[in-house]
Amino acid sequence: MTHQSHAYHMVKPSPWPLTGALSALLMTSGLAMWFHFHSMTLLMLGLLTNTLTMYQWWRDVTREGTYQGHHTPPVQKGLRYGMILFITSEVFFFAGFFWAFYHSSLAPTPQLGGHWPPTGITPLNPLEVPLLNTSVLLASGVSITWAHHSLMENNRNQMIQALLITILLGLYFTLLQASEYFESPFTISDGIYGSTFFVATGFHGLHVIIGSTFLTICFIRQLMFHFTSKHHFGFEAAAWYWHFVDVVWLFLYVSIYWWGS
Amino acid sequence: MLRNLLIGQRTISTASRRHFKNKVPEKQKLFQEDDEIPLYLKGGVADALLYRATMILTVGGTAYAIYELAVASFPKKQE
Repeated sequence: MTHQSHAYHMVKPSPWPLTGALSALLMTSGLAMWFHFHSMTLLMLGLLTNTLTMYQWWRDVTREGTYQGHHTPPVQKGLRYGMILFITSEVFFFAGFFWAFYHSSLAPTPQLGGHWPPTGITPLNPLEVPLLNTSVLLASGVSITWAHHSLMENNRNQMIQALLITILLGLYFTLLQASEYFESPFTISDGIYGSTFFVATGFHGLHVIIGSTFLTICFIRQLMFHFTSKHHFGFEAAAWYWHFVDVVWLFLYVSIYWWGS
Repeated sequence: MLRNLLIGQRTISTASRRHFKNKVPEKQKLFQEDDEIPLYLKGGVADALLYRATMILTVGGTAYAIYELAVASFPKKQE
């Protein structure tokens, strides 16, 4: 049996890039079918196959790392670069929506009444639920740091508790925000204010859900003894992503909720 | 305590009641077996079922999408 004489990971062929690409086709054509022909079959098929692909792809990454030992230090370095570059791309994604917000709010047109918030819009009070949301996410940033330190100090039970608190805070934020969306006096179709508000906060909320899911996977892996005190990159990646989500909220709060009211 | 600093270790389980057992060594043995089975099928029967289901749904779904495209390309004329 021949073994490699280098520390890098030559990944074996996998069917998941193909199924992922096909699921993307099904999701996009599914959207078109939903919008124009009132049928949700293709879209649902696309979402299902996308989920199946993600589950199996990342399950295989775990197998390669934790069970087969392919994640040597140079490989881990590459994974770190990858996650940082991905988060950077997401920063640019949100930058676009902040640009749109500032473009319209710094020079409000006569049609809006020449001021911001525009005529007819009653913005949400930034000192009510939005402030609570801010404290919830900030607290979750503290608890995830606690979880990380517990992990590095080999304190299994504390790590599990702190990570659970982080996930519950994330869920609490999502529920609070959902209730705000329900109760809001303005909608997405209320001019440029509604558009910028709901698209920016909406994509942020989606990222909170993604981040919470990532953290939950880490929670399950911690229960299954996958992480060691020295090697737990999956958890670190989730933590970086979570901090990113927190920072985006802080920008949203200051710009849209506070300055924008 | 110095040992903790020098070696990364999985927590030695002092589990009780319904707590989890560390099955990582078993899994490591299973997935390192030299049996030519691809990684995405190496876990057992469930892997094969999941793989088959995913393939059938994506390939079948693609065929269905192309069919719907064909139907949409020839709209029915209103009399």
